[in-house]
Amino acid sequence: MIKRITSSKGIVTAVWVLGLVVIWEICAFIVGATQRTPVNVLPHLYQIIGSFFDTKSITGSGDTIATLVFSSAAETLSRALIGFIIGMVLGYILALLMHLSHIVEKIAFPYLMIIQMIPILGMAPIVLSITGDISSARIIIAAILTFYPVSTNTLAGFKSVGRERHELMRSYGASKFQLYTKMLIPSAMSYFFTGLKISAPMAITASILVDTLQGGNGLGCMLSQSLKGSMTRFVFWDIVIFSAVIGVLSYYLMGVIERAITPSKRKAKKKAQ
Amino acid sequence: MSEKTNAPEISVKNVSMVFSDSKGNPVQALKNVSIDIQKGEFISLLGPSGCGKSTLLRIVSDLLTPTSGEVTVCGKTPRETRLEQKFGIVFQNPVLLDWRTVRKNIRLPLEMMKVPKEEQASRIEQVLELVGLKEFGNSYPGQLSGGMQQRVGIARALAIQPDILLMDEPFSALDEFTREKLNDDVLSIWRKTNKTVLFVTHNIAESVYMSDRICVLSPHPGRLSAIVDVDLPRPRNADMRGTPEFAALVEKVRNSFEGI
Repeated sequence: MIKRITSSKGIVTAVWVLGLVVIWEICAFIVGATQRTPVNVLPHLYQIIGSFFDTKSITGSGDTIATLVFSSAAETLSRALIGFIIGMVLGYILALLMHLSHIVEKIAFPYLMIIQMIPILGMAPIVLSITGDISSARIIIAAILTFYPVSTNTLAGFKSVGRERHELMRSYGASKFQLYTKMLIPSAMSYFFTGLKISAPMAITASILVDTLQGGNGLGCMLSQSLKGSMTRFVFWDIVIFSAVIGVLSYYLMGVIERAITPSKRKAKKKAQ
Repeated sequence: MSEKTNAPEISVKNVSMVFSDSKGNPVQALKNVSIDIQKGEFISLLGPSGCGKSTLLRIVSDLLTPTSGEVTVCGKTPRETRLEQKFGIVFQNPVLLDWRTVRKNIRLPLEMMKVPKEEQASRIEQVLELVGLKEFGNSYPGQLSGGMQQRVGIARALAIQPDILLMDEPFSALDEFTREKLNDDVLSIWRKTNKTVLFVTHNIAESVYMSDRICVLSPHPGRLSAIVDVDLPRPRNADMRGTPEFAALVEKVRNSFEGI
């Protein structure tokens, strides 16, 4: 029964992907029939994929599209990762402090909301002008975007622990430390990972966006150069597809890590299959 | 021993409890309740929802402090007995930690009591045997049925080797068949371990089947309206549920409620 559902889940995904490809291609044919330079508007998928494996050099230094994408990605994504980790740690610590003290929660929560509501497009230039350094700006923006989902979800996780669980710990005469380490922190783990799943793709998007503000070697920088026509338009398309794949993978990676550190989930799954 | 049998194991004197509701109005949950429970007795607190039976259990276990009145457990305040781990609580939901295996769930209180490792292991095996879950020690709660989960809850309460077992509607979420099976299991555990049991329920037949005495609580305000002695012979078995004596007791208990 369960096995049928999990295998049909694979079919569902396959149908989705296939549907997207079909829609893309139909649109590409329509665009191709009307535009003189359809590559600028919507190329066919095979053209995009083909360009990625093209061995022709597109820059003075002899980079192909693939090596250019990979080196830019290393530049941008490494900063996104650092920012993600910083945001995760700080977000978790703030969630703990907000749960330990109502005063901290009352003071911090409105600021959290405000930070979340400022568009990154507005925040990024400010951060960049303060730091004056594109790499630090990427890290800070990725950290800020990670911070909020991790913090609020983890706090919600702590708050979701029911009355009877608190009573159980109280009946054992548990100290505050034991209450957190043995009950609240493990209980909130799935909420914490929900926060990570939301913020991982966001951190990547944000650091690419920061790239576009200044010249350099990042993904976003190549993206805007390609759009402005200083290199082939396929760099743009390849980076878009590549970033989308990395974003989706980052989401799934969080799920994999979650299952790796919570054996109960792994085992329940094993039993189901 | 003889002097101990005279003093009640749990003594509740003139206990009242007033909560305030969401609008800040006072709500009387319990009014002047007095009960003495002897060592080794099986006592039910029976009543409809809102009669304060769970509140009374929480007062005895120091999860709530009464507005007025006096409670002593094993001759001490509830707070002292709680910190000495003299009682084990079984909640309405099993309250198992889903990231821990059955064994590790039972180990939780032992870790906090700093019981030595070898003794932890032997106690865990002992209580697993007692509730009949020997083969499921390494399973996760999510893999067990509701009845089995509640057995784990009982095992965890027994693992701390308490003098008193407090059970807060432990079987109300289970189906009738599982409930009756667990009724028998709890009675057999009670016989083997000689614990004092305070059993909260809203099921009249269950309270008659299990108890030595039934404290009938009526709602609005929660008060003790009768104490019914159950003189059915022990050990009890499922056949007794059909006898006229059993039916007469159920009828007697039902008639002792006030104001419903």
